[in-house]
Amino acid sequence: MAGSALKRLMAEYKQLTLNPPEGIVAGPVDEENFFEWEALITGPEETCFEGGVFAAKLTFPSDYPLSPPKMKFTCDIFHPNIYSDGRVCISILHAPGDDPMGYESSAERWSPVQSVEKILLSVVSMLAEPNDESAANVDAAKTWRDNRARFNEIAHQTVRKSLGL
Amino acid sequence: MKSLLLTFGSLALTAGVVANAYMQNKQFYPSVVYITKSSPSMAVLYVQAFVCVILMGKLMRKIFFGQLRAAEMEHLIERSWYAVTETCLAFTVFRDDFSPRFVALFTLLLFLKCFHWLAEDRIDYMERSPIISWLFHIRALSLLAFLACSDVFFINHAYYHTLIKGASVQLVFGFEYAILLMVLLHIFVKYVLHTVDVQNENPWENKAIYLLYTELLLGFIKVVLYMLFLAIMVKVHTFPLFAIRPMYLTMRVFKKALNDVVMSRRAIRNMNTLYPDATPEELSASDVCIICREEMVSSCKKLPCNHIFHKSCLRSWFQRQQSCPTCRMDIIHSPRPQSPQAAQPAAPAAPPQQPPVPPFPAAAFPGFPAAFPGAAWPPQHPPASSSASVASSTSTTTTSFSTSASTSDTANNPFMPGMMPPMPFMPPFMMPPMSFGMSPPPVPPADFSGLTDEELRAMEGEERENLEARVQCLRNIHTLLDAAMLQIQQYTTVVSRMGGLDTASTSTVWSAERPTASAMSSKSSNIATSNSSDPMMAAPNPVDTSNKPDDSEVLEGAVGYTVPTETVLPSGESGAAQQDSEDSSELGEIRRRRLEKFSNKMQEQAKTDNNGGTPD
Ligand SMILES: [Zn+2]
Ligand SMILES: [Zn+2]
Repeated sequence: MAGSALKRLMAEYKQLTLNPPEGIVAGPVDEENFFEWEALITGPEETCFEGGVFAAKLTFPSDYPLSPPKMKFTCDIFHPNIYSDGRVCISILHAPGDDPMGYESSAERWSPVQSVEKILLSVVSMLAEPNDESAANVDAAKTWRDNRARFNEIAHQTVRKSLGL
Repeated sequence: MKSLLLTFGSLALTAGVVANAYMQNKQFYPSVVYITKSSPSMAVLYVQAFVCVILMGKLMRKIFFGQLRAAEMEHLIERSWYAVTETCLAFTVFRDDFSPRFVALFTLLLFLKCFHWLAEDRIDYMERSPIISWLFHIRALSLLAFLACSDVFFINHAYYHTLIKGASVQLVFGFEYAILLMVLLHIFVKYVLHTVDVQNENPWENKAIYLLYTELLLGFIKVVLYMLFLAIMVKVHTFPLFAIRPMYLTMRVFKKALNDVVMSRRAIRNMNTLYPDATPEELSASDVCIICREEMVSSCKKLPCNHIFHKSCLRSWFQRQQSCPTCRMDIIHSPRPQSPQAAQPAAPAAPPQQPPVPPFPAAAFPGFPAAFPGAAWPPQHPPASSSASVASSTSTTTTSFSTSASTSDTANNPFMPGMMPPMPFMPPFMMPPMSFGMSPPPVPPADFSGLTDEELRAMEGEERENLEARVQCLRNIHTLLDAAMLQIQQYTTVVSRMGGLDTASTSTVWSAERPTASAMSSKSSNIATSNSSDPMMAAPNPVDTSNKPDDSEVLEGAVGYTVPTETVLPSGESGAAQQDSEDSSELGEIRRRRLEKFSNKMQEQAKTDNNGGTPD
């Protein structure tokens, strides 16, 4: 019997392939290593990211459901809650007690009850509704707050780029 | 390509040097002398030796590891960088012994270190891959054997060298190889544990414990070795600056292992003493363990919040955090210290007519709080024991509740009797979850009109009996809170029993328990704020709202996404992992198809976007 982290990841993968949520594809990069996943997320409809397909990489720790995975967009994306190198900064990906922004209550933090699917859904909603109070990309947060038209324009560019146009 | 060029370049140079020497001397021995005497020739030979070492390393890597993974390579480069720096530092200490032989020995050490690191990474990978081939085992075992032999050989060599010739740079090598041997031992233990785990049909609960204790023991040995090394080096040579970083890291690892062991022991103890085993009915009512997503068949524990998990899963979780994974109820602090915390809001609410009481003990009576945990609060244990009885059945709960109530305070309590009766008889079955969440049940009397003037007077003043009267009053409040707690448990038991039939209602149970948890752990007045002050993910989101039931959405505000789908895994499929690995090729197929479909869709979308949107 394999390790519990591996088993849980396989179970989640199975679940995701059998019942894929709308607009999200995710799975291991390599079937021999279940601890590195790739995910494709479609930009939520009726937002400035609509139509885009954004690729991200998920890296799971060996004690997986106990510690959260890390998520990093591998494509360009300009968003208040995504660092310029692509790392995603949302509360669900932080274990309680590790709080880079110092504002999150532990209720929204990582716990084994979360899953890849919930992370990805949270990311979709984060795309739809940036949280500029805890900006990972200050520049993007500023633009989003002060110059929405400009933000939408940049977002549209990233959408086109993500589609390879 | 570049390395190939370098290799051939050095090979050609060496050949040139050797040929030149032979041409000039025509005989073997004189040519050797000639080469050793000429510095340029020696330089070429050193370069050649270096290239040979690297080629050797590549060959061994090919034999023992095959292709290195990107993560392994990254790891290796990072660690070698530090190792090289430290070696250079070591050179400064031993500049008197500096010789080609010395450099060669250090290179060899570095070389073997690299293989230890790679072996470690490779063995750790066993936990990550579903497929472990025979080749993997053969490679791992032969590599471990080879490394063990070389370590032992070099330790031996260093030992005798030091015995015969006294302290020299061999001391450093001896210690380095001793440390490496410990690392190797650790790797070997991990390998054995992983292998046993892979062969086993059932999850091996104690593996984590064994790993932890191995780490602790070997960490301890390493720390001792480093200490010894430091002491000897300071005595013989000078302060070994180059050993500081690894020593610090080793100590940190050891400290962490120690901490983990302590936490783990505490978790196990709590598990065994505080929480009841889940009964078979409860197991059949709940479907999967939220931690590992597997069915719960046996050895499961139930937390005070009525959530059930595998014992082993819960234990590993408690090593990190002492809260319920599902509802985040604070497990360690809620069953017991909950009483003083919870009493706090009640006390200020109660005494508007009697000023001396209000601010709970702390500042006013310095000596007082110390007596609290044991003496002043006898009904500490009822919560634990009664929660145990909640597990068995609801009816016994009622009885055990009334006993605990009567044993604690009813007798000498003026306003308790009036308060008590409604509670056991309050029909928890009738209460809808929503109304429950809104109004925390047993509210202590808002004013003390129920108290006689005598009783009030008894509580005024600073004398001992006044204090006792106040403590008594607080105890009463405490009992009330216990009652509330019990009722909540009763309630959740009932709901989970009703909801255990299908997964849809399980999720409502879950969401119904959230306010419960906050009501218990914090002041009731805080419920509203704690629910509304969670802005982050609480923002309603267009993608998700469509398929979410409204009521759970309302209750769920605090957690954002943690709501519904959690336990929808069809129960049949979370079974054997063997099946899983057999299925994985089929899964791969599904995934490929899915990806294909997805990318087609994207292309279509891109086309329409291109045609319609932008005419350039
Ligand atoms: Zn479990
Ligand atoms: Zn719970």
